[in-house]
This record gives sequence, structure tokens and C-alpha cells, in this order.
Amino acid sequence: MAKPSAFQQLEKLGEGTYATVYKGRNRQTGELVALKEIHLDSEEGTPSTAIREISLMKELKHENILSLVDVIHTENKLMLVSEFMDMDLKKYMDTRGGDRGQLDPATIKSFVYQLLRGIAYCHEKRILHRDLKPQNLLISKHGVLKLADFGLARAFGIPVNTFSAEVVTLWYRAPDVLLGSRTYNTSIDIWSIGCIMAEMFTGRPLFPGTTNEDELKRIFRLLGTPSERTWPGISHLPEYKPQTTVYPAQDLAQVLPQIDPLGIDLLKGMLQLRPEKRISAADALRHAWFYDLPQVRAQAQLLQQQQLHQQAQMARTYGGTVQGNQTGY
Amino acid sequence: MPVQRAKNPRLVSNENDENSSSTRVTRANSKAAALGVDELAMPSKGLQSKKTGATANPARKRAALGDVSNVAKVESVAEGKKPLGAKAGLVSKAAQPTGIQKKTTTTTTATRTALATKEVNKKVETKRSGSGAIGVQKRKVSGSSSSATIKEETPEEGEPLRKKVHTLEAEKKIKSDVKHEEPPRKESVPPAPEVEEDIEPALPPEVLVLESEDNDDPLMVAEYANEIFEYLRDLECKSVPNPGYMSHQDELEWNTRGILIDWLIEVHTRFHLLPETLFLAVNIIDRFLSAKVVQLDRLQLVGITAMFIASKYEEVLSPHISNFVHVADDGFKESEILSAERFVLSVLNYDLSYPNPMNFLRRISKADSYDIQSRTMGKYLMEISLLDHRFMAHRPSHVAAAAMYLARMILDRGHWDATLEYYAGYTEEEIEPVVHLMIDYLARPIVHEAFFKKYASKKFLKASILTRQWAKKNWRHFGIENPELSLDQIS
Repeated sequence: MAKPSAFQQLEKLGEGTYATVYKGRNRQTGELVALKEIHLDSEEGTPSTAIREISLMKELKHENILSLVDVIHTENKLMLVSEFMDMDLKKYMDTRGGDRGQLDPATIKSFVYQLLRGIAYCHEKRILHRDLKPQNLLISKHGVLKLADFGLARAFGIPVNTFSAEVVTLWYRAPDVLLGSRTYNTSIDIWSIGCIMAEMFTGRPLFPGTTNEDELKRIFRLLGTPSERTWPGISHLPEYKPQTTVYPAQDLAQVLPQIDPLGIDLLKGMLQLRPEKRISAADALRHAWFYDLPQVRAQAQLLQQQQLHQQAQMARTYGGTVQGNQTGY
Repeated sequence: MPVQRAKNPRLVSNENDENSSSTRVTRANSKAAALGVDELAMPSKGLQSKKTGATANPARKRAALGDVSNVAKVESVAEGKKPLGAKAGLVSKAAQPTGIQKKTTTTTTATRTALATKEVNKKVETKRSGSGAIGVQKRKVSGSSSSATIKEETPEEGEPLRKKVHTLEAEKKIKSDVKHEEPPRKESVPPAPEVEEDIEPALPPEVLVLESEDNDDPLMVAEYANEIFEYLRDLECKSVPNPGYMSHQDELEWNTRGILIDWLIEVHTRFHLLPETLFLAVNIIDRFLSAKVVQLDRLQLVGITAMFIASKYEEVLSPHISNFVHVADDGFKESEILSAERFVLSVLNYDLSYPNPMNFLRRISKADSYDIQSRTMGKYLMEISLLDHRFMAHRPSHVAAAAMYLARMILDRGHWDATLEYYAGYTEEEIEPVVHLMIDYLARPIVHEAFFKKYASKKFLKASILTRQWAKKNWRHFGIENPELSLDQIS
């Protein structure tokens, strides 16, 4: 852990309910960093969000996940030092997007792919992000996308524990969560990615609801009002209320003409109302929509090599520890 | 004193739990007794620590520590009727009346002392006043009367109830999992986890592949289950404490640690926390003690802080800090817990990614058709590893495998087949040494009474009673030596 004085605090980059983010500079190396200053509650000490965020981010080492460099904890403040990124996806769309903020299809495909890679990595390490939205996706000037803000993230077990339903910013919140389900799993993040993907194509949030009910109504208006027949068990969800208007499902391809048919197919997979029908990140990465992505082929090969390498490494570590234990015994 | 008295009655009325406050009070005595042994061994230290602490505190502190043992005592009395080794526990305690006295005194002093670490604030002394001795007496009295009322919660499936609404949810979830479970069927072989591959290059044909039946159950995260468990097995190596850390602790002994954790088990039950929280808390304690030397009078602070941190990490709603202060009988101020929290987190580098043994137990239970009896008993056996330091060198997955293995042996559930071996990740031979340790623990007199009592309840299918009965009958077959000696005596 470094001392607070090790970093020079520059301009404010953003402010949330739980933290303020500043640009900073490492006084020794001159390197730019992001300084996330967490508001400490004098009553409850270190917030659970911060405890989880730090612990989980330390586990996550991936090119599509923001890396945590250091933690500075003094009596009255807690600061997370991470690599500096130029802007978040929201700002990227505002400044680089078209007249409405929409991005070009090639960029979108690359971003969705990187987003899925990052989240697949989290899910394989039993971590849910639970707050994916454009503001929490950072973009470097080289077009690299990284997941950030793990304040709402948490590790899950199998079977998945029950969690709080108070997660994910309203516009990106999955219908099962909106209906009060506490037994959501990795599919909660996939819904958000679907919303983000559509937003990149149109420049507008897909479901900009104002309240829980309004959010659900907007979702149902596009994807059709579910019933016990189309979604068995839905009426038992805590927040379920019979809908006064029953909407038929619309054709996504007509509503989002900007998206090509393969892209629509992937989007449909991510925007399934029933969580168990939603595509997994691992499967989404294998979707045909990405086949023409230049990095896919190269990465496929690279990944394979990495995996072989990891396996070899794991074999070594694993074998070593078992032996150690036995002798320790 | 008046303050204390007033408090206790209030508590009693407020809490219906199994661990009513009155019980807690009672515990104080026994705990003191238990701790005493230790303290006696190191009178000088206790004295030293006194300097810092105000004289006044003794009563309170004791109470906190005492809590543990009292409950245990009550329990053991209750259990005494039953055939078990509970008696032994009682007897041994009773046999050291003097010890109790002394202990109390010493403990008090010791507790009060400030933590060696600078980080912790030592503003403590202010409030405490009153004669410790009197306080203790009173508490005992009230405690014993009320303790009779202990009630168990509705039986669940072996997990402690969760708080409020979540409880139901949790139950449903777990039950639904069970429902979803169908008889295992053979499936085409999916890619086996890499780790396992290293051990055995290919999935043996006789292993039943269970993942595919979970494809319709999102809670099982079937698509990632293999990767996740592979990852957890990898992570295990990184969170093992130093199993020999007691050698660098000046004031602590293994049995002090046992007393602390026995008490934390009560706290954990009282707060209705998740099983994961308890395991994480103990891991935090052990990793912290591996890194830092802690004075006896600060051990409880470390324990309560670890539980506080673990709750924040694991629980949907973690109890307010005032509950932790309260449960430690106001032995520490909130500010002390908060600065201890900062210190513990920084010593551990904020690394709380501990592969919880509950994950592994559930995984193996899956290969056991989620049999509730064997899992509940397995859970008890697994928790032994928290109290008995001899398990510390073993990985959580190893302990979970041993717990399920022994539970199935005791319940006569058939042999450890290839499917169990695969999902546990351990062969019979690999498991054997850990199973042996568990039987060794079970065959000896009860030293962790709160722990014993928790699992003597119907909710936990009387796992602690049944397993001990079994161990009493069978220890000879496992080469256990001198089972009449307690864990403390052989450590």
C-alpha cells in the first residue's frame, strides 16, 4: 500500500453515490492513474461495496477489466488507484458517435466482443458484475474496452445464493430482477449487455424507464408481455403484478433496422425475458456475428495457446500443493 | 453494574433466538473458566496488559468471553441426559473450580489490555467501572435460569436461517435445487476441468456427468460450473494460513483460539448469518494471526472484527456494528472495531477471495443426490475444521471431501464411488488422513461446547450427538490413541 502523497490529485472525472473519481499522477513515475476516493461512513467503517470491489478486482486480471494498482486506506479515506482510461463509453458515444451518439457497426462489434470477453472471464471466476452500463465501461484511445466499477459485484456459489434485488441501474436491469427475483445469476449481466449493444446502435438507451413499473412496461412493450404460459413461475415473483395491457412481442429487426440479421439474433439471445433462456457470455462469444471480427481468429489461436500454458502451470501448482499438504500432515 | 443488569433483561425480552442474551450472560462464567487455564499459564502477561486497561472493565470483558463457555455449559447439562460424551466435557470443566476463579480475574485484566498494534485506538477505559466479581456472579445467576428456554428455529435443510425475507427465498432456492435433481444419468463426456485432468488425464468412464441435468436450472450455472470449481481449487492454495502460526504467538495457545471460535459460532448463530460467513471469518482470523502477533486481551477484538468483515463480504444485509459491540458485552468500542477492521484488511491486502468449503460440500452433495442427512452431518464435520487447529494445513476442498466421506460412512451410505470421487476431487486414500483427524476429534471429550450444542439440535439432525456416539463405538478401528485426553491436552 502506498501513501496518499505518492499520487498527485488532478481534475475530477466523475462522481457517484459511493465514490468520487479523480485523474491522478504517480509522482515517481509520472504515470497517469485514476483515483477513486470512497466516501467513508464513520458509522459502519469500510463499506461492503469497497471491500468486495477491492477483493474481487484483485482477483481479476484481464485485458478487458480495469486493473487495480493500489489501495490507500487512511483513517478518513479510502482510495483505489487504477490504470487511467481516456473516457467511458457514455462519453465516447457523446463525443465520437454520430448525430444521435450512435457508433459505427465495426466499433460496436468490437466493443460488444470485448465486453463479453471481460464478463465471461468474471463469470468463470464466479463473479457477477451487477452494474453494467455505458458509464462503467471504459474506453482507451486505442479502442480497448474495460469493465470498471465493481462496487456492486460479488462472488457467487453454486447453487447461487440469494442476493439483493437492489442492483443494476434501472435502464439496464433485467426483468427478473425488476420482478423482485433474488436468485438471479450470470444472466443478469447479459441482459445489461444486450441493452448496451442496442444503445450503441441507436445512440439512445433501449429502455429508459423512470420507475420500476415503467421500466417493465417498456420492456414488455418491445418483447411482449410475459404470462405464466410463456414464463412459468413468473406470477410467483415478489414484484409481479398482472399487467393491464398485454403487449405482443415486436420484431426486433424492424425496431432496430440498424442492426444486421446476425446481430439481431445475438441481441435476441441476450434480451430473453426468462433468465434461463438468455445466452451465456461464453456462448455469445462463439456467435457467428463475431466471425468477421479481425481479432477473433487471431485471438482464437492465442487463447488456445494461453490455455495450454495455464493448464501446464496449474498442473505444476496443483501437484505441488497437494504434496505439500500431505507432507504437512 | 446497574448498567449491565438493565441491559440483560432487555435483551432477553428482545430476542427469541436460541441464543438468548441471558444465555450469553451465563456463558460468561464458563468461558472465564475455560480461558482461565490459559491465563494461569501466563500470569505475568495478564498483569502487564492491565496497565492499559482500566480496572473497571474486568466484569464486562469477562462477560464477553464468558458468554461462550456458559452457553456451552448449559448445553452440556442438557445433553448430559443423553448418552454422549457431553458428560465428559462437563466433568472436566467442573473438575477445575479453582481454575475458574482465577481465570476470571486474569481474563478480565487481559481482555482489557490494549492490542499491541498501534493502529487500534485505546480510548477504551473510560466507561468501565464496577466490580468485576459481583457482576460475574449476578450474571451467572440470571443466565442459568434463562438458559433453559433455548429454542431451536424451524428446521431447515441444515443451513442456519437467513435473515428476514431472505430466509424463505433461500429455502426455496435450495429446495428447488433438490427438486431439480434427477437421478443421475450418463451423458456424453464434457470437457473435464483442467485441474482434474492433470490428475487423471480423461474423465473415467464410470463417472456420471451431472452437470447436464442442471442446464434448466439457472442457479446451478451449469455452463460455468467446471471452470468455477477449477478456479476455486486453484485459489485454495493462496488462502491457506500458516498452520504453525501459534509458535510465533507469545500470549496465545491453540486452545485459546478454540475458545474464541466456539464463541464466534454462537455469535454467528445468534445473528442468523450464512454458513459462508463463519468460514470466511475464521479464515480471516487465521491469516491475520499468521501475519501478526496478537495479545490475548485483543484476540476477541480480532475475532469480532473478522466476523464483521466477513459479514460485509458475504451477507446481503450485514448486522450493524453496534450488534458486534453488544455481543462482545461492550468490551470494545465501535471505534476500536473500525480501526481494527482497517488494520486487518490492510494486513490481508483486502484479499477475501477464500474458496469457501461450503461450495465444495454442496458440489459433492450433488453427487450424493443432495441427501439432506449426509450433507447436514457433513456440515457439522466440516465445521470441526474451524475449531480444531490441526485441520488448518488442509485445503477447504479436502476437508469438505473428508466431511462428506465420513458422514456417508457413519450413515452407511455406500462406498466412495467414481462419481463422488470426481466431484469431490479426492480419492479415498487422499481423504483418509483428514477423516482420521475428524474421528480423532470426535472421540475425545467435548471442549467446544457451543459448537456441540449448535449441532445437537433437531434442526441439524443432532449431528454432533450422532457422530460422537459413532466415534465412541468405533475409534478403536481407526487407531486413535488416548481418546480420553482432550484436544487441549494433546495440543
